[in-house]
Amino acid sequence: MASHTTADGRYDDPTGESGPIIEMNNAKVTYDGGETFVLDDVSLSVERNEVVGVVGESGSGKSMLASAMLDAIPDPGQLSGEVLYHRPDGTTVDVLELSDEELRQFRWEEVAMVFQGAMSSFNPTMKIGGHFEETLKAHDARVPEGMEFARELLSDLYLDPERILDSYPHELSGGMTQRALIALSLVLEPDVLVMDEPTAALDLLMQRSILTLLEELQQKYDLTMVFITHDLPLVAALADRMAVMYAFDLIEVAPRDQLIGNSGHPYTRALLNSTPNLDAPLSEMRPIEGQSPAPVNVPAGCSYAPRCPLATDECREVDPDFYKTGDGHRTACHRWEEARERITLNFETAGDGAGSGGSEGGS
Amino acid sequence: MVNYYVRRTARVFVTIFLVASLTFGLVRLLPGGPFTLLRAQLLRQGVPADEVDARIANLQNIRPDEPLWMQYIDYMTALVQGNLGESISLGEPVVSVLARAAPWTVFVVLVSTILVFVVGIFLGSLQAYWEGGRFDQLVTGVSISMMSLPFYVVAVLLLYVFAYQFGWLPTAGTISNSVDRSLSVPFVVSALKHSILPIVSYTLGAAGGQALAMRGNSIQVLGNDYVQVARLRGLSDGRIATRYVARNAILPLYTGFLLLLGFRLGGTVILEQIFSYTGLGYYMITALNANDYPLMMGTFLVITVALVIGVYVADLTYSRIDPRISAGESDEAY
Repeated sequence: MASHTTADGRYDDPTGESGPIIEMNNAKVTYDGGETFVLDDVSLSVERNEVVGVVGESGSGKSMLASAMLDAIPDPGQLSGEVLYHRPDGTTVDVLELSDEELRQFRWEEVAMVFQGAMSSFNPTMKIGGHFEETLKAHDARVPEGMEFARELLSDLYLDPERILDSYPHELSGGMTQRALIALSLVLEPDVLVMDEPTAALDLLMQRSILTLLEELQQKYDLTMVFITHDLPLVAALADRMAVMYAFDLIEVAPRDQLIGNSGHPYTRALLNSTPNLDAPLSEMRPIEGQSPAPVNVPAGCSYAPRCPLATDECREVDPDFYKTGDGHRTACHRWEEARERITLNFETAGDGAGSGGSEGGS
Repeated sequence: MVNYYVRRTARVFVTIFLVASLTFGLVRLLPGGPFTLLRAQLLRQGVPADEVDARIANLQNIRPDEPLWMQYIDYMTALVQGNLGESISLGEPVVSVLARAAPWTVFVVLVSTILVFVVGIFLGSLQAYWEGGRFDQLVTGVSISMMSLPFYVVAVLLLYVFAYQFGWLPTAGTISNSVDRSLSVPFVVSALKHSILPIVSYTLGAAGGQALAMRGNSIQVLGNDYVQVARLRGLSDGRIATRYVARNAILPLYTGFLLLLGFRLGGTVILEQIFSYTGLGYYMITALNANDYPLMMGTFLVITVALVIGVYVADLTYSRIDPRISAGESDEAY
């Protein structure tokens, strides 16, 4: 076995001026009494006021990761592990230890969530304004001030507050509903906003404009954001740090530029090569062969080994822990050094016209 | 917006007009109608032909010797004036027979249909809440059994057990003969006693069906994202149950309620026969047996008009209840 630098799988940010706000340690979500894993020992820390982009393909457990941060796993899923939340006043709570009432207050007041499909996140028989009011009331907030803040938020999102508040969800366009939902998630001034595919149902232009707006909001209200998506280039525009999920676990976490330019995991590199890119010709785009494992019968060893061109016997037998592969960069791959050499990123080779991306040199 | 209501209202009048024309046509088309028989009888008794024609015209609001279109206009004019002719078998104006019968039928149908929905919605919500549990399985089983039993079988069984065997409830009629027909305590008690069995037998099976529908709707609504988001937003369980789940689950049932109200008026034909309950349905059978076309046409017309009005009210109110159906946006009738 190669040498491990971070055996506990935790990444300690040496620069952290203010320290992490959320620390998720060994979070596990199981269904069917432990038979099915949909989140397998995930550890992720989120720094205050940063934007973390979590990327993964469909069914990789992204939404579970988002729900786990609020201890909101849909029944009958079981969440275990630790989700530490460091309040601004210096105290720390384990979200999973909170009582029902404490959890009810914690959600939306401290950590709020934006779901994919804003249209389906609003009660179709209630006006948008009603959603804001009932949320304020449920958290014993003062309604007039809260509604004033809601109007401000809606204006920040370039919406006409009066019109939006007086509309039913079906009367708004997809982009408007999505922005209204973002405003609703911020109405109690949470510190952290977890977004699960917030732009999934929108067209490209609207995705970009939402992203710009999120950036503005993040600056204005000092938000910490966890942005979960399957769209790597989209989140790359916004994120400070990025994490890649594969088969219910994180496989690589790094500062954005590191992850794009110098990723160590064969999956991340393959993912980058499969992304449409203006710098690389279309012929250079490589789909990843095979498919990701189902939550049952996850293979022993590295879960990516069956699809990985670099897989060896070690990969198939020993599940890799995180290796420290750079400054603030950790990669769960035994062969990360080799991956960097042998799997060329197509936007790097675009200039010298080296035909194959190198990913066929499999074992 | 206004245009929509005008269109809907116009549609009501057109439908009623068509139904009235149809009843007129029915009389003309049916072979061996009562008037042929009556005419032959009267002529045989030596009544002069002129007088026979006058009598029949009086019964039917049409003059047989006039051209068809004149008869039609006469009939429709009489109808607009609220004159449905005279019942042959009962020898009194159809309108007064209907006025006497309709309140009982409306009472039974309204109460039982409301009960169907109240019981169905209540059971269905509880079933959805305890989905898969023992209560859910039990109620589903009972509901399906009740649905597969026609209401008239239930009616006969109930009548046999509670009226004939135990003698707790009256076997026939709308009210006992000894009670004065004015609004008083004995009158109400007697009316209730007479209506319990018809109402119960008309409620049980349909309530099972509504419970299953409500259960399905609620489970579907519970699976919606907005319910999960509402929980995350920290709303109380009570508010989620009423404003989120119940409201969205009941909505699709609402149109059904008004339509069912109309359809069930027609179903009283059998129900009232079993309980000898002198409502619209009872008189319709009487009219059928006696070849009493004016009365038949009258009851038929009243039941159809009730259905048309039910649909009309559903149309007009649905957009107020479900904001997604904005009036005028679609031309579909519900």
